[in-house]
Amino acid sequence: MTTGTIDIGLAPGDASRGAAAPQKPAGNHPAGALRTCDTTGLPVCLVAQQFIKLHAVVAVVFLLVGGIAAILLALTRWPAVHLLPAEWYYRILTLHGLNMLIFWILFFEVAILYFASTSLLNSRLASKGVAWAGFALMLVGALMVDVTILQGKADVLMTSYVPLRGDPLFYLGIILVAVGTLTGVFNFFATLWIAKRDRTYEGSMPLVTFGALAAGIIATVTLLHGAIVAIPTFLWSLDLMHQPDAAWYRLVWWGLGHQSQQVNVTAMVSVWYFLATITTGAKPLNQAVCRGAFVLYILFINLASAHHLLVDPGVNAGWKIWNTSYAMYLAVLASMIHGFTVPASVEVAMRKKGFTKGLFGWLAAAPWKNPGFSAFFLSLAIFGFIGGITGVTLGTEQINIIAHNTLRIPGHFHATVVGGTTLAFMGLTYYVVPLIFQREYRARAVARLQPYIFAAGIVLMSMGMSFAGSYGVPRRHWDIEFTGAQFSHGFDPGAHVMLGLLGLGGTLAFVGLLTFILLTVTAVFFGPSNKGRAMTAW
Amino acid sequence: MSPEKPVADVIRSEHAREEGDHHAPGTFVLVLVLLFTFAVYYFANWKALADVWQVR
Amino acid sequence: MSIYSPAQDWFKAPSGGERAWIGLALLWCVVLTLAMPYWHFKGKQNSTGESYAVEPMKFMERVDRFVQTNKVGEEMGTAVVEPSPGGDAYLQAQMWRWSPILKLRKGQTYRLHISSLDLQHGFSLQPVNMNFQVLPGYDHVLTVTPTEAGEYHIICNEYCGIGHHTMTGKIIVDE
Ligand code: HEM
Ligand SMILES: [Cu+2]
Ligand SMILES: [Cu+2]
Repeated sequence: MTTGTIDIGLAPGDASRGAAAPQKPAGNHPAGALRTCDTTGLPVCLVAQQFIKLHAVVAVVFLLVGGIAAILLALTRWPAVHLLPAEWYYRILTLHGLNMLIFWILFFEVAILYFASTSLLNSRLASKGVAWAGFALMLVGALMVDVTILQGKADVLMTSYVPLRGDPLFYLGIILVAVGTLTGVFNFFATLWIAKRDRTYEGSMPLVTFGALAAGIIATVTLLHGAIVAIPTFLWSLDLMHQPDAAWYRLVWWGLGHQSQQVNVTAMVSVWYFLATITTGAKPLNQAVCRGAFVLYILFINLASAHHLLVDPGVNAGWKIWNTSYAMYLAVLASMIHGFTVPASVEVAMRKKGFTKGLFGWLAAAPWKNPGFSAFFLSLAIFGFIGGITGVTLGTEQINIIAHNTLRIPGHFHATVVGGTTLAFMGLTYYVVPLIFQREYRARAVARLQPYIFAAGIVLMSMGMSFAGSYGVPRRHWDIEFTGAQFSHGFDPGAHVMLGLLGLGGTLAFVGLLTFILLTVTAVFFGPSNKGRAMTAW
Repeated sequence: MSPEKPVADVIRSEHAREEGDHHAPGTFVLVLVLLFTFAVYYFANWKALADVWQVR
Repeated sequence: MSIYSPAQDWFKAPSGGERAWIGLALLWCVVLTLAMPYWHFKGKQNSTGESYAVEPMKFMERVDRFVQTNKVGEEMGTAVVEPSPGGDAYLQAQMWRWSPILKLRKGQTYRLHISSLDLQHGFSLQPVNMNFQVLPGYDHVLTVTPTEAGEYHIICNEYCGIGHHTMTGKIIVDE
């Protein structure tokens, strides 16, 4: 048996010098609103726990909706299958983008914020009422959006570029989601504030919380852009205002659309640090470096929305180059720094445990059978080697000419926000369920395999998209045979092979995603309880 | 039961560790590979761009 | 530990491999930053975003005038138009066609004006794979020089409604 309660204490100072953990400061929890995690010894605020559960469950439901949409899309873009009719392809594409990129990710991120500000700071959640309000706004908004889309009243895609026009309820739903998320982020900030006020921790906040704080700050700026663009558009859809200018809309919309990706990156990196610690005992090599890199994210991402407008009219070359270079590359630097410090911390931890053989003995000996670890490390590799490299290249002002709106773009972001963020969140879930829901996973052998299936699928699909895009195949396009068009363009046969790869990879990724959802739902509702003892080690 | 250590053990092993040990040669090789791949892909794209019509 | 507060004295300069990597990464970012201004002055492919405000109706009138003065034929009901080398050429995007068909000469430079009469569209020239955004209200001017003779297609790669995937056009480049 490897289970059993082990008291590791909550060290307020870094107890890494072999000394016993010093006395921990008292939290600010009301009586009966606290439990101590039997596995990690971390304090768990029961109110926060309730909301972490709620947000996580809803997130996974939206992941399922987005996932069903995903397989339909993959099977439509695969020319040999070409499943959906045109109308439904665009409708489902709208559904997929919003449910995945916005709903799944945002619900999960609010759960992360609540965890990072309570358990890691030994604090209670600032307000239960505010948490309910934020959650309800998000949920109602998301349901409004989904219903409107499925009724066929908003076939405008995620970006809803004006003058395309959807039903007012579609825009209202998006506004509610944004306001609800802001409410949750506000609750997070309030929790940080009361933790500081009540001195529930000593010194600086832990790195993971610091990363979450960075994500929260960027999210606030992001969601404000969302409000600036969505409110006039909503009023216009009600005929209460003139139509927003197309170029202005794109500029501000990408202030939301791009920066929200930075929120995802920041949250993902925080999850990397968390999973590295909890699966291998890794410890950041240099806190100043890691924190500095998070600060770079906050400071230098503001105007990187420019890299969505690189081949647009209305903005000049000087503006495009300036905003893509300084703003983007210092954030790129930050990612490159994390890309070193995260695996290096794992390497150091593994070497300390005696796995010192050669250059990569530590890597071979890593806990690859632990889905928390494999998901984390695959996420790191996919994000760095595929997502990061393609992103910086496509975001280069002139190179964008040969990439804009081709399938190279979804090829890139499925390696960042899916192979990166989503996979990292899956890895985290393998700990959230046993530690927060206090339920064990069943079918553990399948769970061990799941990250590999999903990662392999996403890598294949992303490559298929990227290479098809290099042949010029457009994104958001139902028929590359151009049936019924005035001039029929034929793509290179290589493009068809690549679209086949997209279809196969997408199918595999869908299998991985469905496996994840089935395992997780089964564990949450029917898994054996582990209350009163440590979780079964992966 | 899994032969791996439970979470708490893993975290605790960290408590015992000394600071200032930054020896991570494997990671350094990995990031060099990353930088190399990055450079190859990046410059290949500039090359591809140079082959299309001229435009300003 | 990333999940505990760090020791008080956590603010330290990086050392060893970490420091070396930060230096290398910074250097690479400098290369990335300089590459764009370099290409702007030395490279032959740039997106300057040159554009002028234009009412869709006004733009349509200009296109009509351009077609009337330079029309050289017709193909499947669409005018084939040959602009004078070095001169202005017009391309109109609307749901769901690109018009007119342009006849250009290899090695000659044209000021190609593109705008939309309705929604946003994506000018995507195939198989060279060059892509530019087309917005209503903006006359997007591309100063292009075809470098290869042949027949090219324009497809639309910005979603513009249910007929989006049938929106195609043509450019012919003669020697
Ligand atoms: C099983 C996993 C997934 C598969 C098979 C999949 C597949 C696809 C496909 C085929 C497209 C359409 C590309 C096009 O025709 O233009 C697409 C678009 C997209 N996907 Fe995914 N995807 C998956 C997961 C995700 C996840 C987890 C996210 C976000 C977290 C995501 C975000 C997006 C976005 C933002 C778009 C673009 C929508 C648009 O163009 O408006 N996908 N995906
Ligand atoms: Cu179009
Ligand atoms: Cu279109």
